[in-house]
Amino acid sequence: MPEAMTHMERGMAALSNEPVDRLLVSPLSMGVQRRLIGDGVTYRDWAHDPKMFARSFVEGYKAYDPDMAVGLMDLSVMAGDLGAHVRMDLENTPFVDEHIIHDPEDYEKLEVPDIRKGRSAVLLEGTKGFAEALKNDIICAGFIEGPLLALSQSAGAERLFMDMYTNPSAVHNALEVMTDYDAQMVEGFGKTGVAGLVWDYLWGNYSCLGDAEYNEFEVKYAKKLNKLTLDNGMAVCVHNCADMPHLKTQVKDYKTSIYSMAWYPLNPDSPSATKVIEDGYADNCIMAGNIDPQLFIRGSVEKITKVTSDLTKEVKAALCKRGLNSTFCISSGCEVPPDLTTKLENIGAVVDTVKKEGKLA
Amino acid sequence: MSKEELYSRLSEAVVCGKTDVAKNGAQEALSLGFNAVETINEGLVKGMSIVGDRYAAHEVDLPQVLMSAQAMYSGLNILLPAIPKSEALDRKKCAVAVVEGDVHDIGKNIVKTMMTAGGYHVFDLGKDVPISTIVDAAEHEGLDAVAMSTLMTPTMDGMRDAIDGLVESGYRSKVIVTIGGPPTSPSFAEEIGADHRDENAQNCVTWLKEAL
Repeated sequence: MPEAMTHMERGMAALSNEPVDRLLVSPLSMGVQRRLIGDGVTYRDWAHDPKMFARSFVEGYKAYDPDMAVGLMDLSVMAGDLGAHVRMDLENTPFVDEHIIHDPEDYEKLEVPDIRKGRSAVLLEGTKGFAEALKNDIICAGFIEGPLLALSQSAGAERLFMDMYTNPSAVHNALEVMTDYDAQMVEGFGKTGVAGLVWDYLWGNYSCLGDAEYNEFEVKYAKKLNKLTLDNGMAVCVHNCADMPHLKTQVKDYKTSIYSMAWYPLNPDSPSATKVIEDGYADNCIMAGNIDPQLFIRGSVEKITKVTSDLTKEVKAALCKRGLNSTFCISSGCEVPPDLTTKLENIGAVVDTVKKEGKLA
Repeated sequence: MSKEELYSRLSEAVVCGKTDVAKNGAQEALSLGFNAVETINEGLVKGMSIVGDRYAAHEVDLPQVLMSAQAMYSGLNILLPAIPKSEALDRKKCAVAVVEGDVHDIGKNIVKTMMTAGGYHVFDLGKDVPISTIVDAAEHEGLDAVAMSTLMTPTMDGMRDAIDGLVESGYRSKVIVTIGGPPTSPSFAEEIGADHRDENAQNCVTWLKEAL
C-alpha cells in the first residue's frame, strides 16, 4: 500500500476491503455547492442548467477534496417529468406540490416521459458533465429515485400506501411504468461515465413498510434495476436516510457496493455505525454515514470536527474488531442542507478531520 | 345489540381498517340512542389506541395505520356532529400544521390521528401553512397546543418564526408548542423556544396529556 493513496486508489481498495492509507470521506454536498459557482446562482438555476449542475461538483471537489461526487439533484425530477407540479422556490429544494394520481384509474394513465427532455435530461447531461471532468480523480456516481419513491412523489405517500391495500394491481401497473422509466434512466446514466449509480430506496424503512409490503412493492422491481445498473457498467449504490432501513435486503440481498445511511440517536432501533459494522453489513459493502446534516448549519467548525473525530474513532475501532480494513466512508447521513445558511467551512472540516485522523492502525 | 358489542365492533373496525363497518356502526350507535362521546371513546378511540400502540411497537406498518385512521374518521364524521355543544367545549384544542414552504404532511396526519384518538379537538391547518395562520388560529380558537412539523431543513426556521409570532401576539404563554419531523431535535426545539419535540406521534400525545 502506498504511503499516500490517490482518491481512486483508496476508493478501489475500499471496494475490495483492501488496506487504505485512511478512511474514505465524502459529505453528501450537492445543492449547496451551487454557492461555489458564483453569486446569485439560485437553486432553481442550478436544478435547470446542466452546466451549472456539473460545475458545482467540480468546484466542490476543488474546494473540499472529497473521495466521491454523487449527483443528487432533488427527489422531484421524475414526478415532475411525469406531469406533477413541482414547486421551485428560489433557494429551497424543489418539491412536488400537486400530485398526478387522484384516483385509482390515474395509476393506469402513467406513461414514461421522453428522457431527452425535462429535468431528466438536465440530470443526465449534468451528471455527464461532472463525470467527464472528475472521473479520473474521484469516484463519480449518478443519483436516481427508485420506482416506489418516484411513484410516491407522483401520488403522495399517504394515498399510495392505502392503495397498496385497496388497489394493489393498479399500484403494480404504475410501478411497472416507473421501472421502465428508471430503466431508461439507467441506460442514460450508463453513458455518462459515472462509476456507480446511487438508488434512493427510501421506503425500505421499518417505520413505514414491513418486509411483506416492501418485498411486494419494491424488491422485485429494484432487483431488476440493480441488475440493469450492473449491466450498464455501474456499481449498485443505495442511499436510504430512513431511521430503520431494511439493511438485510438493501445491503446483502441487493449486493450493494456502497450504502449511504443516516443515524437517529433518539430512536433506539436506529442502527449506529458500530452496529452496522458489528452486524456484518460492512463485510462486502462500503457503508457510509452518518453525521447529522443539521450540524452543517447549526454546528461550529469545532463542533463538527469533534463529531467527525468521534465517528472516525468509532468506525476504526469497529472495523478493527470485525477484522475489516477499509469498508466505511465518513459522510453525512443525508444531503448537506442546501440552505443559504449552511456553513460551507463545515464540509471542509469533515474532510480535513478524516484526512488527519482516518489512518487505520 | 348491546353497547359493549357495538363498541367492540367499532374498535375492531378501526383496528382492521374497515371504513364501511365503522361508518355503519357509528350510525347504528346514534340510532340506538347511545351517547356519541362514549361511542367515540369506547369504540373508535379504543381501536385507534390499539393501532397506535402496535405502530409504536413496530407490530404494524404505516399503511395499516393509515387504513385505521381512515376508518376512525369515517365514524367520527358521523359521531362528532352529534356531540352536544356543552360536552364539546370540555375538549382541549390542538392545531397541527406543516410549516410554510413544505408540503410533506404524512407525519402531521399521523399526529392528527393520534391526537384525535387522544380525545383532543384537532384543528388541521394543513400543509405549507403561513405563520400568520398559526398565530391567528391560536388566538381565535383559543388553542391549548400547537404541533408543527417539517420534513425539510430549509423550512425548519419557519417553526422558530411561528413561535416568535406567538410571542409577539402575546399568546405564547397560553399555548404549548411541540414540534416534529426528521431534521428536528430536542436541542433545536430548545433553541427555538418550543416546549417539546418527539420521535413519534403516540409518544407525543402521551406527553401532551401530561403537559395539559
